[in-house]
Amino acid sequence: MRKNILFIGVLLGVLSLAAFSAYSQEDIEFVEDSAFTDNMRPLPAFKHDEHNEMAGLECNECHHVYDDDGNLVEDESSEDQECSECHGAEGDEYPMELVRRYHLNCRGCHLSEKAGPVACGECHAKAP
Amino acid sequence: MNDEAAVDKNKIYDEGIEKGAEKLTPEIIQNVYRKMVDAEGGARLKTYVETCVSCGLCSEACHFYLSNDKDPRFSPAGKVKQTMAVLMKKKGRVSVDFMKRASEIASTECNLCKRCAMYCPFGLDVAYVMLFVRRLCHKLGISPQYIQDTAHSHSVTYNQMWVKEDEWVDSLQWQEEEAQEEIEGLRIPIEKEGADFMYSVIGPEPKFRAQLIYQAAVIFNAAGLNWTMPATPGWDNSDMAMYTGDNEIMARTKRLHFETAMRLKVKRIVMGECGHAFRSIYDMGNRALGWRMPPVEVTHSIEFFYELLKAGKIKIAQKYQPTVTIHDPCNVIRGRGLHEMLRYVVHAICENVEEMHPNREHNFCCAAGGGVINCGPPWKMKRVDGNKVKAQQLFDAKSRGAETCVAPCHNCHGGLEDIIHHNEIGMDLKFLGDIIYEVMEKPESVL
Amino acid sequence: MHAIYNFVSGPLAWVAFILFFGGILYQLISRAIMAKKKDAFIYEYWSFYHAFRSILHWIFPFASTNSRNRPVLSVVTFIFHICIFVAPIFLFAHITLINEAFNVSWWFLPDGVADIMTLLVIGACIFFLIRRLTQPDVKFLSNAWDYVLLALVAAPFVTGYWAYHQWPGNQLVTILHMLSAEILLAIIPFTKLNHMFLFFFTRGYMGSEFGAVRFARDW
Repeated sequence: MRKNILFIGVLLGVLSLAAFSAYSQEDIEFVEDSAFTDNMRPLPAFKHDEHNEMAGLECNECHHVYDDDGNLVEDESSEDQECSECHGAEGDEYPMELVRRYHLNCRGCHLSEKAGPVACGECHAKAP
Repeated sequence: MNDEAAVDKNKIYDEGIEKGAEKLTPEIIQNVYRKMVDAEGGARLKTYVETCVSCGLCSEACHFYLSNDKDPRFSPAGKVKQTMAVLMKKKGRVSVDFMKRASEIASTECNLCKRCAMYCPFGLDVAYVMLFVRRLCHKLGISPQYIQDTAHSHSVTYNQMWVKEDEWVDSLQWQEEEAQEEIEGLRIPIEKEGADFMYSVIGPEPKFRAQLIYQAAVIFNAAGLNWTMPATPGWDNSDMAMYTGDNEIMARTKRLHFETAMRLKVKRIVMGECGHAFRSIYDMGNRALGWRMPPVEVTHSIEFFYELLKAGKIKIAQKYQPTVTIHDPCNVIRGRGLHEMLRYVVHAICENVEEMHPNREHNFCCAAGGGVINCGPPWKMKRVDGNKVKAQQLFDAKSRGAETCVAPCHNCHGGLEDIIHHNEIGMDLKFLGDIIYEVMEKPESVL
Repeated sequence: MHAIYNFVSGPLAWVAFILFFGGILYQLISRAIMAKKKDAFIYEYWSFYHAFRSILHWIFPFASTNSRNRPVLSVVTFIFHICIFVAPIFLFAHITLINEAFNVSWWFLPDGVADIMTLLVIGACIFFLIRRLTQPDVKFLSNAWDYVLLALVAAPFVTGYWAYHQWPGNQLVTILHMLSAEILLAIIPFTKLNHMFLFFFTRGYMGSEFGAVRFARDW
């Protein structure tokens, strides 16, 4: 139990520190997409450069491009596009497919790498 | 359980339970329990006992609970908790004292009236569970003495009251002779093959209430009906073996009853104003014999009187004047839905009717049925005190003018009579047959 | 913590759902076989018309006499049972997770509504607890298991509410939320919570017997 409390304390510290420092950057601070007109949850805090540097990600791991046959095109990336341009923003009342893609991309990676937030409230944290 | 002592102080001595228990050991109990559950404890038992969420919604359905200051031990689910639930949890490994108490609960604190099944949201049948406990007690030989004696009578004589064959025929002929003084040429046709119906009664009728046979004979003769009564065992439709859980004797008794009707080649059985006998023939005995419905059509007196009045076969000279109230017996109301026919009959023969509340399917039990009155004198006050709600109901009806209570059931009569006397309610108690006989147009001769 | 999260949201969830659905099937099939052997008349007397007639009378508040006798309990129970089903099944967060795993999704409730429903479930559980502790007959009927079950029913809703509102320990509570719901699902078929599916059979049979054999109402 004491371990848990300690853990929660540390976690809270880290999170609030992260949230605080997010404001000090002018870089990308949140995951945003114009297809979400009506946000159900707080935007996930996401310091783009810091995250990718720490995680050692190539641009096109997230900003991927696929050819017509569905094969990943190496050496090309899609930074100039929003995810929703390709990933199912159309159709449903709410872009469930887009939610799915975002979650699989972020949370999926966190789960498989055993690093980064996975529980709902960890990303969609309310502003402190 | 602080008031365990209070229960002990009022402990009732029942020779059947005590003497039977002397022969028991926990090992015997466990053995018998296991064999019985293996053979008969099915999906219903399991579900009824295990799925109860102990919400207490059945409590206020029970007259024992309401009449004993809402003592939780009398709530229907409470009775299961104190008996079958423990047995199942411990797989029968219980003490002899536990089984004595279980026998007492199942046989004297539950009338199997099934009112609680109408109050349980799940429709769990506590009466079924209590009957299962009674059957276990039967197998263990710890049924209350008086009802066990009655079951023995069924076993030996095929009737409830140790009535011998010649005594039975004598009684019929005696009533026939008596009635002939009132109506010339009246017959109680015995052993008439091919009659329209066989009239069957319970053992206590020839024994204590022979005037009921007399009255029935007058009604049937006046209506010009083609009927008969058997001269042989099989005439008694009652069944206390059903209530001790002695299903084997129940089945034997019912088979003889049905076979007697078949031997006489009658179209149907019409039975006197008895509730438990109806349950035995219409519900439990036929099932025990493997019949979905009775192999011979069975009509209860309420329905039969309804038919006769509706068809104009009996004419009413002048309706019964005192205001009456109606007691709905569980076995023909919850057991057969005869409540509207009962009201038709009562309104046809009585001028003024004041309903009891609640009524119809929701009526409170008499606390005598389900074999409880048959557990005899040791348990009498427990059942009378255990039904203050009925007394209240009767008082209420009386305050609205009711002078007579109509109860078309023998057990109800016994129970209500005790309640009326003990509480000094001062109300007459009548069968439908009593009133019909009193108010009908009677011919001087049927020759 | 990732390992625990992975385990609870992955294999354990599978175990829970398998026990839940498998348990229901097992209970129904084993009881059907047992009934055929020892209570064969159930099949004889079963009448769909009368079964449904009875079920409908007992599923809606105020349709039965006993329900009318206890208006507060009837309303609380009705709301409780509706919310306990609707809130989790039509919760956006749950549907999202299912969508991620199986690529299927369906209509969901606005979060605010689900939030209120969760509170209603918790409130009803507190009501049931107080009732169990204070009403003598219910207290007498209750054993330890009844309280444990009540707590187990409340737990996923309490933790869910906690996690959604991101109170302290949110990550841990999210894991506890999944864990408690999994425990609940797994034990439903094997405890008296199996009234969730057995209700339809007990009520249905009583309705059939009362309606088709006894010609009487059972509500």
